Amino acid sequence: MSGKKTLFYSTDLEIHFGGLYALQKINIDILENEILGLIGPNGSGKTTFFNVITGIYKPTAGDITYKGESLLGKEPYQISRMGISRTYQSSRLCLELSLLDNVLIGMHNRQKQGYFSAIFSRRKMIAEVADFQDRVVELLDVFNPDLKERMFRPVGELPQIDRRRVEVCRAMAAEPTIILLDEPSAGMTPDETRELMEDIRKVRASMSDVSIMIIEHDMSVISSVSERVIAINFGEEIARGTYEEVAGTPAVREAYLGKEVVHE
Amino acid sequence: MTKYIVVAAVEILVYAFFIFFLSVESAWILVATLVLIAGLVLARRFMPNRTQIVVDAFKSSRAFVLGLGAVLLLLFPIVASVVLRQGTYWMLVLIQTMIYLMVALGLNFQLGSTGMMNLATAAFYGVGAYAAGMLSLRLGLPAILTLPAAGVIAAAFGLILSVPIYKTKGHYLALVTLAFGYMIVLALDNTAFTGGAQGLMNIPEIRIFGYSFIRPLAGMHFYANYFYLATILLAATVAVFYRLQNSWVGLSLTTIRDDEIAAKCSGVNTAVWKLGAFATGNFFMGVAGALYAHMIGFISPPNFQFIESLVIVSIVILGGMDNLLGITLGAVILVLLPEKMRVITEYRVLIYGVLIVAMLIFRPRGLLPFKPREYHRSLLNRLRGGSK
Repeated sequence: MSGKKTLFYSTDLEIHFGGLYALQKINIDILENEILGLIGPNGSGKTTFFNVITGIYKPTAGDITYKGESLLGKEPYQISRMGISRTYQSSRLCLELSLLDNVLIGMHNRQKQGYFSAIFSRRKMIAEVADFQDRVVELLDVFNPDLKERMFRPVGELPQIDRRRVEVCRAMAAEPTIILLDEPSAGMTPDETRELMEDIRKVRASMSDVSIMIIEHDMSVISSVSERVIAINFGEEIARGTYEEVAGTPAVREAYLGKEVVHE
Repeated sequence: MTKYIVVAAVEILVYAFFIFFLSVESAWILVATLVLIAGLVLARRFMPNRTQIVVDAFKSSRAFVLGLGAVLLLLFPIVASVVLRQGTYWMLVLIQTMIYLMVALGLNFQLGSTGMMNLATAAFYGVGAYAAGMLSLRLGLPAILTLPAAGVIAAAFGLILSVPIYKTKGHYLALVTLAFGYMIVLALDNTAFTGGAQGLMNIPEIRIFGYSFIRPLAGMHFYANYFYLATILLAATVAVFYRLQNSWVGLSLTTIRDDEIAAKCSGVNTAVWKLGAFATGNFFMGVAGALYAHMIGFISPPNFQFIESLVIVSIVILGGMDNLLGITLGAVILVLLPEKMRVITEYRVLIYGVLIVAMLIFRPRGLLPFKPREYHRSLLNRLRGGSK
């Protein structure tokens, strides 16, 4: 553990919307090849943190450093090109597009052919599409081969669980350095959640050095996958450490269960 | 082999009916056509197996379908001159349909593929027409230069709107373009430089390598020249948009349309792509305008008013967003049909309104809706071969 380098860290990150502080003095770091769990009650600022990292929100104060470079002022597409990809709390798939297309867009940053070859050298374009399509097949082979049968079907026809899978696939297809998973198991049964986590683990094993930051409400997921956990509430960090350490912290129990009332 | 016979038979029958349709003067032909179409729809519904043969034949021989279609289209000026009493008139109507179709395809790239509403299509078409007119009248440029130049100028005018394009979307962008459309017409109306309310007159006809387009073509009216040029330009437009749609470009644009945040976070530089899509669409509108200006020889501001933009939007909504074949159908229905029904022409706008409302209620995705992209058939086969 000690040999790992810090890949990403935020320093005193703050964002407020009017008078509401969504994040305050957030100092979160992630090491190379680490799985970090981010927990906290609803509205505690977890998703906001993801939105700040990916450039959707601009922080009010503080800084984010990734691979030694500040992410401040960068557009979401630039941050994506630096190797950070994500999933969303509520699905952001293109329901009319095929499963294949939804995963292919994840590979956008590695496309070499563009506007002019689309018009003037279709052969090159189609060759690259064929190449990428093969990679999607490879990815699905590892991740969940059942999805392959439905590659040309619109994603809107798939059941909720498969949509979640496609969204994770899209994030993985970017071959990122950090993946931000925002409640990947929302709306899933415990069995489905276990299956999804297994799928993620398989793909991760086939890739080199991917750090994962995962937001989850399902504590069994957090306890089984994450090496380190950080808990936040009302935009502030309240605990960090291993799952057991964090779960044992009074502030965390209070945030989830409420304050203990001492009867006289 | 049978599939070619089936395709040829169907295409020739449809073509023959089309010519017959144009030749009949009575308005009852419209009723007859509707009955025929209803019959075909019912046949498809109740005899899915037998009609599937035809559908499969068309799907499996795309090159033949397009080739024969092109030949039939190219024969039209000859057939029209020989068979139809008002052959010249119908030739003009078909050219007009192709010009509108080019503009609608441009709009489709913005609205259908990228989700950007543009209510100033007639204005961009007008910019192209005026650009071609002025370049040839004032500078004496030949048509081979004015056509592309008109496209580039129309695209450049669109870039004036670049800030609202990447900062606003949906209804707000629609309003900005609506205002822009009015501004263009007002400016044309009040600027002496562009001929003011009188417009531009005596715009020279197209000449390519000394061949003048107002010379009769093999005994046919000179419109035949423009018919062939319009066909070539339309074919090029369709080819460009087909290729763009079935490539990374189309993929990026439809992702922007469906979920802009997902597109951004996947690395798509949405601002650049949106501007690119807008400029590309406008380019073809400008070229279409230039063709019109050279052919008619006279343009004035009323030709490019908002009502024309509305027709273009109707074509895209009726035909089906992001479906090239659907939009072709939409253009034929909304441009060619009213010409046939002179009675209806007076109520054109009313009918467009009713049609759009009806479409939005009963078939909100258009006659032929968007289908998931397959890029190229070889890729489909490759996958089927590989997965076995």
